[in-house]
Amino acid sequence: MPLTDPVLCKRIPTKPWGDPKDRKLITYDEYVRTGGYQALERALDMDPKDIVEEVKAAQLRGRGGAGFPCGVKWSFLPEPDGGRRYLAINCDEAEPGTFKDRLLVDFDPHYVLEGIAIACYACQLDTAYFFIRGEYRHQAKTFERAIKEAYDNGIFGPQGLLRGKVDFAVECYQHRGAGAYICGEETGLLEAIEGKRGWPRIKPPFPAVKGLFGRPTIINNVETLAAVAPIIEKGAKWWNEIGCESSIGGPPSYGTKLMGVSGHVNSPGVFECELGIPLSKLVNDYCDGMRGGKKFKGAIAGGVSMGILGPDQFDAEMDFDIGKKYDVMGLGTACPTIFDEDTDMVAVARNIARFFKNESCGQCTPCREGAQWIYKLIGRIEQGNATSKDLDLLLELGQSMGAMPGTTICGLADGNNWAIRTIVNKYRDEFEARVKPYSVAVNATVGATG
Amino acid sequence: MAWIVKESAKMKIDRRPEPYLTDEMKARYEKDVLPRYETKMGAMMPILHDVQHAYNHIPYQAMEEIAAFLDLHPGDILDTVSFYEEFHTHPVGKYTIAVCQSIACEVCGHQAILDHLREKLDIEPHETTEDGKFTLLALECLGACDDAPCCLINDDRHNKLTIEGIDKVLDSLPD
Repeated sequence: MPLTDPVLCKRIPTKPWGDPKDRKLITYDEYVRTGGYQALERALDMDPKDIVEEVKAAQLRGRGGAGFPCGVKWSFLPEPDGGRRYLAINCDEAEPGTFKDRLLVDFDPHYVLEGIAIACYACQLDTAYFFIRGEYRHQAKTFERAIKEAYDNGIFGPQGLLRGKVDFAVECYQHRGAGAYICGEETGLLEAIEGKRGWPRIKPPFPAVKGLFGRPTIINNVETLAAVAPIIEKGAKWWNEIGCESSIGGPPSYGTKLMGVSGHVNSPGVFECELGIPLSKLVNDYCDGMRGGKKFKGAIAGGVSMGILGPDQFDAEMDFDIGKKYDVMGLGTACPTIFDEDTDMVAVARNIARFFKNESCGQCTPCREGAQWIYKLIGRIEQGNATSKDLDLLLELGQSMGAMPGTTICGLADGNNWAIRTIVNKYRDEFEARVKPYSVAVNATVGATG
Repeated sequence: MAWIVKESAKMKIDRRPEPYLTDEMKARYEKDVLPRYETKMGAMMPILHDVQHAYNHIPYQAMEEIAAFLDLHPGDILDTVSFYEEFHTHPVGKYTIAVCQSIACEVCGHQAILDHLREKLDIEPHETTEDGKFTLLALECLGACDDAPCCLINDDRHNKLTIEGIDKVLDSLPD
């Protein structure tokens, strides 16, 4: 069912319901005046286990990229044993093309804080760390003020949630990153909170069992947590009416989703849509069409690591089936970057390869070395110094450094492989036009000598 | 092998008599930062941010002092500092201009902005002007792809950049 009223953008003017120019920061008072913290009030009347069941029934899938069902993740936690338990909120939005969480943090931070409070109560977690990327300097200040407001009004703090309505206290802190893409990987994020370099950990043990400081930890995306409050307020059944069923027999894509469109469109920005909306509709109805009336050439599905949608895939439905149906890794963050017909796809590939080369954390050899090689190879192709054999070498390299299950601890190498492989496969003629035919000089004399 | 002496073993650390970590800072960390984390090491990143904010970069002497304060080895601090690109071990300009070079900014024309800045400031990315006013950086995605091309100048983001626009911003910055 299409979305009739905004859910996550309830207080943030967004097309088609409002003008982005009217956006302003929603303070605590404004938030409460417009029905805020009602969902928390309601949640605290429920049994924590029932909240988890409700989120499970809503089939809320993670909005950070992997699409793992949130309620299922929450149910992996062991029973409380009296020790500390953590919630880590992932606001390390460093994937190129992705900027949807910024909207919530910029304008409606209490929506996120309400979700945090509900999640902490549902999973009985006593400390929440809001991990925000270092580049979000303005947003970090905004969110720090919002946390202070929440403390001042008794949402968090030693007296118990919501001014002591329940005898369960939650502390919420902000933790600033310092410019490393890898900290968006959940275990890399935990390492960064512990003060170490953000090297992802080998799983198992999974964070739900042994995470932050060796204690049970849940890691959720900002948008996922923001979606928890409306689900508790209106029920899982209502949530399941938005979005779409899977057309290929997979798990459904229910609910509303923030989609950030960038690149060659007339009005780029973040929009709230139901899952399953075709990309062409998103571009034409929400973004006022392609810039300069140019033709669509391709789009990054949702963050560069998801790969690229080809020229014939403009009508791809933006739901969790997209990976299987259109040969990309997945929906990712549902933030497409659109390219018009004038775009040089070899340059796009070079840019993406440079990103992965710069952001590989260096822990696993295939990724650290492979990302360098891929970047150099694409650079050679772009400058016209490569041969057709290099193109095959490029694909082979990608395949051997990351193909799920990959050769590395985390998925960064997989992302690199998917991005490069889908670009080369879908725009092979462009790459072939840039390479020289492969020939070998042999030192042999033909014909009779002497 | 004994006859190989690592460069780092010969490294000279610039020292000054007064400590970088003042008593006021230590008291503040004891009160506000340390209680937030289960281990002392957890407090490292907030402290590093604060030290960098106070001194423009994180001097090696300050790393030793942080290590002593957190009961860690100085190498632990260097390990973290060297991993994150926002931490600087050497002085940077009064204004750091971080131009986003990721995909949305590239297809919207970041190269013209970067080339213009290189020419105007006469420095390459990751260098500082001689008067110490500007450091130019080329970073990966700043998370403002809808406002591409964009850059961060210290804490402020500047969106939908044009050459005239960035000139105006730079000229308005006080010395």
